[in-house]
Amino acid sequence: MADCVIVDGLVKRYGWRVAVRGVSFAIGEGEVVGLLGPNGSGKTTILRVLGGYLPATTGTVQIAGIDVAADSLAARSRIGYVAEDAPLYDGMRVGEFLHFMAAIKGVPGYKAHNAVAMAAKQVDLSAVLALPIGRLSRGYRQRVAIAQALLGDPPLLMLDEPTNALDAYQVIAVRKLIRSLAGQRTVLVASHVLGEIERIASRVMILLDGCLLTTDAMREAGHARQLRLRIAGPASEVLRALRQIPSVVAAASEPGEIGDGYLVELAPTQPVSELARALIGQGFALSELTDVKRDLEGVFLNLTRRAGIVEAEAP
Amino acid sequence: MRRFAALLLREERAIFTSSIAYVVVAVFLVIMGYTFTLTLFLSHSPTLVHLFFQIYVLFLLTVPIITMRLVAEERRLRTLELLFTAPVSEVSVIFAKYLASLSLVLVMLALSGAYAITLGILGQPDWGPIWSGYLGLFLLGAALVAIGLMTSSLVSNQIIAALLSLSLFLLLWIIDHFGWLLPDPFDALVVNLSLLVHFTPFATGSIFLSDAGFFISVALLGLFLSVRALGRR
Repeated sequence: MADCVIVDGLVKRYGWRVAVRGVSFAIGEGEVVGLLGPNGSGKTTILRVLGGYLPATTGTVQIAGIDVAADSLAARSRIGYVAEDAPLYDGMRVGEFLHFMAAIKGVPGYKAHNAVAMAAKQVDLSAVLALPIGRLSRGYRQRVAIAQALLGDPPLLMLDEPTNALDAYQVIAVRKLIRSLAGQRTVLVASHVLGEIERIASRVMILLDGCLLTTDAMREAGHARQLRLRIAGPASEVLRALRQIPSVVAAASEPGEIGDGYLVELAPTQPVSELARALIGQGFALSELTDVKRDLEGVFLNLTRRAGIVEAEAP
Repeated sequence: MRRFAALLLREERAIFTSSIAYVVVAVFLVIMGYTFTLTLFLSHSPTLVHLFFQIYVLFLLTVPIITMRLVAEERRLRTLELLFTAPVSEVSVIFAKYLASLSLVLVMLALSGAYAITLGILGQPDWGPIWSGYLGLFLLGAALVAIGLMTSSLVSNQIIAALLSLSLFLLLWIIDHFGWLLPDPFDALVVNLSLLVHFTPFATGSIFLSDAGFFISVALLGLFLSVRALGRR
């Protein structure tokens, strides 16, 4: 599978503020990838750089083999972009707007009518083509934004917070729509809503404070082994002892637990018995040891917590 | 070319379907009609010189209203993100906005042509100064629209864009008064920045390439700075 998007060492600064810190990743053709991160983590900035709207401070971005900085117009002609909150020309009618977007995306005149009709049908807009965009509901606005992104049949579709502020029915409809695009083209979806990304994407990248923590959170969820332990004793001593055990990758108090619960991540091939033996050998009373089936939420919490610890421990 | 045509058509529609355009044109015509009638009855001479100076002042006041929303509104509504993630360049977007706004200025000038026709029917005017006056007004309009577009590209608030344009226009109108106070060679430099100094010869029937060059240079500088401002995202 060839890569549709290649990002290498991307840094974006706004004056003194660093929004994106050396991000690198690749997305293969036909993949549906989610970019997950809290608000302000740099998702929109990354999408804007990929879309050619913002220049990168350093680093390179290639879309379908074209360097975005070197030939921005050619790269942009291979992108369908849905910006956050769907900014559109409210004074235009839906059909008129889609014809306008088809023209500026270089769809030839004789193909424009069919292209608009196809895009409108794909997102179920045919009934509102004659209405002014300013009179549409948020859900329909989002559909219009997606329809314009589909015009010109770009190989890459990027959607920034596509379900933001939509009601439950609209969220379901948009999610279904994005899922239906999987396989036909490469899709990159940025969102801070973990549940949305989990449902839509086949691969999830996690971004925190401009740093990419993982390019495949699902794989981490599948491979890493997490255990829930209950150990009596002062938390600081227990955590210190846990972190000294070689097979322990990460250890932390269980969120929400006031007592003696801990979450421990083991190196993939290490046996659990070694951990139990080491703890008992140091005189700790181990009362519970259970496997935790990790989901995306667990990976997200674990990675962001670990990044937070690293940041806190930095001099 | 199809991309540029689409951009231009969208801008033309946006301008000619806005109520602001019609209010501006209506106010322009009412004031012009009053001035034309008054000067004709008072002076009894078949000339449009007074009218040209009146249009000059009205352009300084109305062009900021025409240009204020051009980019500022797109910046506020974030539709620039829509445009610049599509394969269109800053130059084509700016040029489309510029031509569309200039077309409204041309419509205003064309409608004021009714006064020249009336003069032609009622008397025997000297057509040379009338043609040169209209050429001067067109060049003035071209320069003012470029400056207005530039200020609109700098901010995301229409009102601030309009006030900024108006301030610049008024400064360029009266700058020669300050110029005369300065020592040589700064006096000539500042006086030559005056819009009125370069417009007066056109209005009175004299065409100098230096005056035409001034307006064209201001227009090109305004367009260049607009493109640069739009690139600053």
